[in-house]
Amino acid sequence: MKMIWAIIRPESAHKVIKALDAAGIGGMTRLHVTGHGKEMGITLGAVHYSEIPKELLLIVVPDSDVARTVLIIRSEAKSGQKTGSGEGRIGDGKIFITYVEDTFAIRTAGKTGNPQNP
Amino acid sequence: MKQIIALIRDERVEETKTALEVVGVRGVTFLHVTGRGQQRGKVSARELGGSLTRNMRLQLAEVRSDRDDPACSQDMEFASPDPDKEFAFGFLPKRMLIMVSDDDQVEHIVQAIVSVNQSGRHGDGRIFICPMISAIRVRTGEQGEKALL
Repeated sequence: MKMIWAIIRPESAHKVIKALDAAGIGGMTRLHVTGHGKEMGITLGAVHYSEIPKELLLIVVPDSDVARTVLIIRSEAKSGQKTGSGEGRIGDGKIFITYVEDTFAIRTAGKTGNPQNP
Repeated sequence: MKQIIALIRDERVEETKTALEVVGVRGVTFLHVTGRGQQRGKVSARELGGSLTRNMRLQLAEVRSDRDDPACSQDMEFASPDPDKEFAFGFLPKRMLIMVSDDDQVEHIVQAIVSVNQSGRHGDGRIFICPMISAIRVRTGEQGEKALL
């Protein structure tokens, strides 16, 4: 099992969630976070913003679903034109993947092989 | 060393704190999060018990403005909810607990969390066990297991 940490634009969160839902990946946790990438934030006029609001989605999926999930997040969280070279902008986000060894459902107190199943 | 991420109901946090103290967990990080599982954030009015938190109201307003989401398109009334009517909040407020422990402590911690949070209803939460490579205490610079004590 893997945990996917997707840091995305707040305005694209709804699109991503909807697409994941349609693909049968409905279980996730959502956090409002702030952060910046290697550009160290943005400067607008005289003001520098180093903490830019982002949305963090935590999704735990079996190994076989990782590639599919990442692909959905990537295609939905990407901003701008979907065709040609105009696709994607700085600040669209990052996806991190970590290991999850075990998942317990508290309701049944049992281990679940696929955390997306009830 | 293992990282334990537990997602539990907001109202069970105090009991969980006590239970974790009993099994000897000292360091815990608490986060306010929103989340959903297989139910897609559906709750019946009976379960809500007429107690809509401000957070939930905000979420409902958000859900309502998004008409084209099929899971959220059902008509939702605040005033006179039918007890079996299901509200689709999309995301429900939950609490996320993050703790790091020795490998042999994991089982006790999982049992402690399950014993106070299990109600048998949907939405009790999940516990994820993830490998953690190291820990460093900022104050002294101690590394590994020593930093956990």
